[in-house]
Amino acid sequence: MKSRKLVSTLAKAIITSTFILGSIASAASYPSKQIEVIVPYSAGGGTDLVTRAFADAAKQYLPEAMGVVNKTGGGGAVGLSEIVRARADGYHIGMGTVELAMLPHLGMVTFQAEDFVPIARLNAEPSAISVNADSPWQTYDEFIAHAKANPGAIRIGNSGTGAIWHLAAEALADKTGTQFSHIPYDGANPAVTALLGGHIEAVTVSPAEVANHVKNGKVRILTIMSDERIAGFEDIPTLKESGVDLSIMTWRGIVVPKKTPEDIQMVLRDAVKQTANDDGFKSALAKMNLTHAYLDAPEFQKTISRDDVFFKDLMKKLGLGS
Amino acid sequence: MQDFSMLINGVLALFDQPMSLLFAVLGVTLGVLLGILPGLTATMGVAILLPFTFGMDPVPALLMISGVYFGGIYGGSITAILLNIPGTPAAAATALDGYQLTRQGKAGITLGTATLSSFIGGTISILILIFMAPLLADFALKFSAAENFALAVFGLSIIVSISSHSMLKGLIAGGIGLLIATVGLDPMSGYPRFTGGFNELMSVPFIPIMIGLFAASEAFKSLSETQAARSSASAIGRIIPSWSTFKGLIPTILRSAGLGSFIGSIPGAGADIASFVAYNEAKRFSKNKENFGKGELQGVAAAESASNGCTGGALLPMLTLGIPGDAVTAVMLGALVLQGLQPGPMLFAEHGELVFTVFAGMLFCYLILLAIGLASLRMVVKIIRIPKAILTPTILSLCVVGTYAINNSVFDIAIMLAAGIAGYIMQKRDFPPSPIVLALIMGPMAESNFRRALSLQGGSYDFLYTRPITVVLLSIALLTLSYPIYRKLRSKPKAQAAADAASGQ
Repeated sequence: MKSRKLVSTLAKAIITSTFILGSIASAASYPSKQIEVIVPYSAGGGTDLVTRAFADAAKQYLPEAMGVVNKTGGGGAVGLSEIVRARADGYHIGMGTVELAMLPHLGMVTFQAEDFVPIARLNAEPSAISVNADSPWQTYDEFIAHAKANPGAIRIGNSGTGAIWHLAAEALADKTGTQFSHIPYDGANPAVTALLGGHIEAVTVSPAEVANHVKNGKVRILTIMSDERIAGFEDIPTLKESGVDLSIMTWRGIVVPKKTPEDIQMVLRDAVKQTANDDGFKSALAKMNLTHAYLDAPEFQKTISRDDVFFKDLMKKLGLGS
Repeated sequence: MQDFSMLINGVLALFDQPMSLLFAVLGVTLGVLLGILPGLTATMGVAILLPFTFGMDPVPALLMISGVYFGGIYGGSITAILLNIPGTPAAAATALDGYQLTRQGKAGITLGTATLSSFIGGTISILILIFMAPLLADFALKFSAAENFALAVFGLSIIVSISSHSMLKGLIAGGIGLLIATVGLDPMSGYPRFTGGFNELMSVPFIPIMIGLFAASEAFKSLSETQAARSSASAIGRIIPSWSTFKGLIPTILRSAGLGSFIGSIPGAGADIASFVAYNEAKRFSKNKENFGKGELQGVAAAESASNGCTGGALLPMLTLGIPGDAVTAVMLGALVLQGLQPGPMLFAEHGELVFTVFAGMLFCYLILLAIGLASLRMVVKIIRIPKAILTPTILSLCVVGTYAINNSVFDIAIMLAAGIAGYIMQKRDFPPSPIVLALIMGPMAESNFRRALSLQGGSYDFLYTRPITVVLLSIALLTLSYPIYRKLRSKPKAQAAADAASGQ
């Protein structure tokens, strides 16, 4: 009886000391091994490209190169759930996207936006209304006037029902009291192809996703749903300039599971900040037509919380939620 | 002829750049290896290589990526022929006859034919890309949801022609495939269907099911067989087909190359659809239709020529319009932009020299593919001589690793194993697995495009008969479906029934 008690005490002591030692070690020497970044989208997509460019630049600021792991499926649901469930030791981080504030309100996932702790935002792309260059509308005002006069006649292609660009079009309809026909495609590219072929009237994808076709003179961007005019598209007015108070963007940034220790978060914030401001990373993004949009953790948290509320209200209004 | 002289200049420029040639060889080799391994696809290879091209010059970067693309599509056929394991979805059509030929001791000549067909199909498609790009470019844009729906229906009708043993069993398998294809997010409303609450099931785990149905089931079957059963398959035979054999294949290869280039240029349709369509057409034009599915070299030649024919086709709208024809060219589009090249109508005018150097390099890639293929086949073909005690566990572990590699998901492995057991039972009961694969490719495409076409037309069904391309494709589908029935009826002495079937068009 006595020996058993002794054994259990010893075991407790060993376990406790291991924990203490373990936590001290992790705080002082973090990172001491490879950090794994989970990407919730497939290799070759925009989120993947941002992550790989980031991992490439981060080599200089970390003792070991980051590993990039794609966990795809369910419009990001699989990978984002994986990030929430990952061990919170700083060696498992994720590339969070705007979907982490959207999917919970569609009732498809078990996590909430609060289950993620932001480290830093790296990239953001606003929604834009683009039309075929042959179309009669030269400005947003002409476009929306036509839409209001012909309810449901304007077909807007999006990257999938419930995805960010669909919600952008829905939010615009809601704000302006217009009625559109929303046509979902399997991603932004097929929607743009349909626009080029004249099968739909407009798309709400990001300016970067139509930039090629704008340069070729095939597509015209009428307005961009950002707070201010964005770099590379300075001559295109924002939606706010037309008097519609709406700005919708997708974003990508480093997030970690909720229970990741504070001190490890601080180390990560530093490394991510250095990487984000690295010239190599910036030029890689620019080459890919992606917008560099660094925000530190507190600012990033504000964006996430704001979007969380916005999408919750919007989806309730649209009857998309559950 | 101006194009021709630019191509000659391109060839000359290319041979001034040994690094470009080296990267082309590297790309093709890597691509073939990726293609051989089930689960690892050309798309994945291209995506992973992309960051490495950040710091490279445009020509070697684009050639390495093209090499992986071409090699990956070809490599999938090798294991399809030798082991009935399609390394890529497109190779599922190659496996139909390829594996039967291997079992007849003709593995060598089948692989040789596949290599030659891939080479010819690919080269023709690149030539079409070089000389006819502006003519074909706008055609891609004509394909709206209605046309894509019709193409998918045509694809589904091919189930009839790949169900050689029993049409009824083929159609049942196809029906099961269509049912499985409904699992996942509803393509229009975005709500999950039949997912049982699993996030992993929000899209149909297509590749795991294919690996399970073909590869794992084959491994399970060989576990249950006696050692002696395999001995007949160990003969290799000659590799390069004799001229008299090859001569008969030329029309098939040329037709399939054309079909592949055409289908490849349609956004949203790729090598998987092209190889099945070409297989179907080869059978339609063949004199000995009965032999298809039982080991017909024409079937292998058609599938391989068409799947590699797709490569040039898919590049066409990407380069001329900036529209990627499939997942690989979508990544390649990114690579072009990274290199500061603007795909679109002005690309040829502004960067003509570079573009034609890359074209010359693509032709070089196909030459390398031919060389690597023919040189390595003697060695590769020995796979079938590996004792079953070693081969079967190796196949099973490759299935597991390959499946895991797609999404890094253990869930997919479970799906793969379940599909493997299902595939084993199907084999025992003589149900063909390819209709399931075909239904999984075409089903979602048919459903989403049908519903998309409906919403584009405001709910009207007019698109079914007012759009010329749609009407033509739907008519071909109807012909494909009704022809075997017509033949069956005619073979019976019932003239009346035959007349009915004919007028039913």
